[in-house]
This record gives sequence, structure tokens and C-alpha cells, in this order.
Amino acid sequence: MLVILITPVIVALVLSFTDYSLGNAGFDWVGGENYEKMFTRSTYEKMLGATLTYVLVVVPVSVFLGLGAALLINSLRWGGDFYKTIYFLPVMAALLAMAIVWEFTLHPSIGLINDTLTSGCDIGWVYSLASGAWYGNDPVSSWYGKGCSDGFPLWLGDRDYALWTVCFIGVWQAFGFNMVLYLAGLTSVPRQLYAAAEMDGVRSSWSRFWLITWPMLGPTTVFVVTITMIRSFQVFDTVEALTHGGPVKSTYVMMYAIFEKAIRHNLVGMGAAITVLFLAFVMLLTLAQRWLVERRVHYA
Amino acid sequence: MKHHSSPVIEAFKHAILVAGALIVILPFYTMLSYSLKSPQEIETNTGGFAGAQAPMVDEYCVKLGQSRADCTSSPVAYNYSQAFKKAPLMRYLFNGAFVTASIFLIQVLVAVPAAYALSKLRWWGRETVFAMVLFCLLIPVHAIALPLYIMLAKVGLTNTYAALIIPWTISVFGIFLMRQFFKTVPDDLIDAARLDGMSEFSIVWRVMLPTAVPALMAFAIFSVVAHWNDYFWPRVVITGDRDLFTPPLGLREFRGGADGSAWGPMMATATIIVIPLIVAFLLAQKKFIEGITLSGMK
Repeated sequence: MLVILITPVIVALVLSFTDYSLGNAGFDWVGGENYEKMFTRSTYEKMLGATLTYVLVVVPVSVFLGLGAALLINSLRWGGDFYKTIYFLPVMAALLAMAIVWEFTLHPSIGLINDTLTSGCDIGWVYSLASGAWYGNDPVSSWYGKGCSDGFPLWLGDRDYALWTVCFIGVWQAFGFNMVLYLAGLTSVPRQLYAAAEMDGVRSSWSRFWLITWPMLGPTTVFVVTITMIRSFQVFDTVEALTHGGPVKSTYVMMYAIFEKAIRHNLVGMGAAITVLFLAFVMLLTLAQRWLVERRVHYA
Repeated sequence: MKHHSSPVIEAFKHAILVAGALIVILPFYTMLSYSLKSPQEIETNTGGFAGAQAPMVDEYCVKLGQSRADCTSSPVAYNYSQAFKKAPLMRYLFNGAFVTASIFLIQVLVAVPAAYALSKLRWWGRETVFAMVLFCLLIPVHAIALPLYIMLAKVGLTNTYAALIIPWTISVFGIFLMRQFFKTVPDDLIDAARLDGMSEFSIVWRVMLPTAVPALMAFAIFSVVAHWNDYFWPRVVITGDRDLFTPPLGLREFRGGADGSAWGPMMATATIIVIPLIVAFLLAQKKFIEGITLSGMK
């Protein structure tokens, strides 16, 4: 355990202050130079921006969708197992394989998505609905109208869309897992609480949710949010397979940066510095989670 | 007691869930569908789900001097046979299975005795070691990939099975999970076994292990799913040797020559890689979901 887990952390810390590269006999101490680069160069600024955007989009959306799906499924009379199975499929599938499939689905000329969007252009009511013409919007200036005349986005090849597309795939992959965790959390909410609330005059399902379900799911939520965050920080497969960090570094996330700098360019020192920063982020998150959970335990 | 909503609301819920399901299913649909169709059908987006299955001629095969009749097959047969021909897919699948199974077995071999020692034996320093286990739970393996890679490179182990397996052999998560489980086993059981003259070693494997099967199942799910699908680590340590590629790496290899005509075979490859876990999941879904619930909430 010491060798495999703790030593590497120390090694990373040490290397981050050097200009070591594999194959060289020695190395020089460069002090904080790697860190200085990381906080001043625009590449790394973009890296932090892309990573944080990814995390800040994927975490809330996938947690919210996971919770929503769990609540809906839990309140169904029948068919819940069916949806559970379907929503969980992406969790099991190799993300790399699915990323490539998404690439085809999103392909600008033969992909199903743009194909469907384009075929809608020729159908009167679809066009009017999607371009907003039905409520008096100018159809040509709308997003859909522009897409019809100038072609729909390249998704992964467009710097304005690439990161969002990668985020979308991230959410698609992650929310089923969150759903299962929430379903588990829901089974542990004592039924008597609902009965008691009913007696106290809590009737609407909305207030039932806010007064009982949501607070009782607190520990689950802390857990789900932390684990999703840690996983989002680690996003690699989709970026390496689909965009290589581009276009214009718009999807240059941390794990990919570590891989590119340290392993492809053999700038181990720089890679180590990014690793240390990454580690700091994740440790902070986990400690925050521990603290939150412990606080809960004291109150309960 | 469950609150049942009106049929209208119930139908509305189903509508939302079906819409979600369609989006979730979409890439799986694309993948299967493309793996069945001919290149023309893919490019023109015709042929519905399964394509017309009109016999097609493999021009490359004709160029190699075979007769046209020998080179004609249905698109399904073409895609799936190409998947195995173009790259040593069987080899990749074997590597995947071998690496995944070895990792899991070694993880169990390490975690079970460690967890036993941490939960049932009294020894000096036990609390310190357990504190270290808790600390290591905080370190995500991805974060230490780079130094691990350098250490492996230093001892000359990159491009070996060992490089794929060694970093994952100690699963702190496994130790932690097993320990929580062993704590629920009554001490009397162990004392009885000791009175019967069993050694500590056989207590671990013959008494403790069987009681821990549900926890092991849960752990197996996490371990197998993670390592079968892992792409990052093999990508880092396997730099050239195609004989050691795991299925995700193999799929990427396929992608290198992605010209129009290879989409069908490529989707067939993706299907073959994704299917084992999906089928396992469909067969044992109750256990799967229970397993994740069981271990996820600890």
C-alpha cells in the first residue's frame, strides 16, 4: 500500500519542482517554475477553465437528472424496473466505445442528430415550432432557422460547441449511477414520516418532497455530489477519443493535459505539477465531504 | 403506504421517462444499427434499423485475387467478420478478460486477509494501519498515474501485463468494504473455529470468505466494470505492443483508419466490446444494482 499509493504522491510532489524527463540521467531543480507557468500561461488557464466548466456542468445536471429519474421511477405504479435498466446501461458500457458511437451520432453529415434536425427543416410545422415562428419570432434569425440555411453545428469540431458536447456525453454516462444511489437513498426514508406529515396537514407532493424527502436524502446527496465531482475531474476517454483537447484547447481538461504533457511530450515535471494540483482539488473535495457527513451525523 | 397519482399524471411521468430513455438508448441504437448495415446504407442513412442485408462485394478482397463469389456476403457477416480480421480482436478480448480477472483475484487475495486482520485480530499498530487505509481512500488512482508510470518505467515494466495489473492489486476500497462486512461476523464463530483447531489462515478462507460473498459480489462489480472499460491506464503504459492491447485500446486502434467503409466493422467492434458487460448486467441486474447500493452507501 505504501509503495503503490503513498510513494507516488510524494514522487509527484518532488518531480513537480524539477524539469525531469524520462530517459535523462539527471534533472535540475526549477523551483516553482512549473507552477508559475501553470498559473500564467493561457494554455493552462484554458485547461483550468475547461476542467471547471466540465465539472460545474456535469455535476449539477447529472445529480439533478439522477434525482429526478429516481423520484419519478419511485412514484410509478408499474414499469420502474424497465426504466432503471435502460438508464443504467451507459454506466456499464465502455465510455470509449460509446464516445466513438456518439461521434457518429453527432457527425455533421451522416450523423443521426444533424440528419434529424435537417429533415425537420422541410416539414412546415416542425420548422415553425423549432424556429419559434409560431409565436411570432423571426424564423430566419433563430438558432434553428440559421441551422437550416447555413447547416447545423459541427458539434465536436466547433470551439463554441465542443466542450458542451463533451459535457453532454458526460452527463449521459453519469446520471444512471446517481439514479441508482438515489433510489437506494429513497428506500431508507422511513414511511412513517410521510404518514406523520399527512396528519400534520402536509398534502401537496411538492411540500412532502421539501419537508421530508430532500432533507432525508442529505447524506446521499453529499455522497453523490462528491463522487460525481471526483469522476468529472478525471474525464479523459471522451476528450482523448473525440477532440484531443481541441478545437483551440476548448476541451483541454486536466487528465488529458497530464497525459499530453508528461507522456506524449515527456515533460514529466510539468505533468507532475498538474497532478499535484489535481490531487489538491480532489483531496479538498473528499475532505469537504467527510466534514459534511460528520456534521450530519452529529445532528442526527 | 404509497401515494398513487391520477392516471393523467402517471401517463405524464411515463412520457418524460420514455423521452429520457430514448436519448439514453440513442447511441446504443446507432451502434447496433450501423454494425448491421452496409457502407452505402450508413452513408445515405437508409435501410431502417437492420438495413436491407443485400449481399455486398468486398472490393478489397477481390483485389487480393479471390473470386467475386467468395468475397460476397451480407453486410452483417461482413462487418462482424471484418471486426475480427482487421485487428486481432480475439487477442484484445482475451487480454481484457485476463487482466480484469487477474486484478480482481489479486485484489481479493490481498483484501480479504487484510480486512480480517483489521477487523478481527488484535495487534500493535492496527489503528494506525486502518487510519492509513482511510487516508488512501482519498487518493484517486488517476491522480497518481504519472508517478506510477515513472516508477514502472524505471524498473522496465512498461508494455507488460504486470504494468496493467500491479497498480490495481491493492484496492483500499476493497479492504475497507470487506472490513465493514467482517465486523458484522460474530466473534464466537471465529472462536469456535479456533477451538476446532483451524489455523488463522483457514479461518480466513473457509469461514470468513463464505460469509462475505454478497460484499465480494458488490466489489466484483466495481472492479470488473472499472477495469474492463478502463482506457486511461492501458493508454499510458501500453505504448506500442499491440499484443497487449485491452479491448478499449483495440477499438481505438481501429479508429486510426476510419475511412467511410470501415464504420460498419468499427461499430461491430464497439458492439462486441460493450456487449459482455451489458449482457452480464441484464442477466444479473437485481444483484448488480443491489451490489452498488450496498457498497456505494457505506
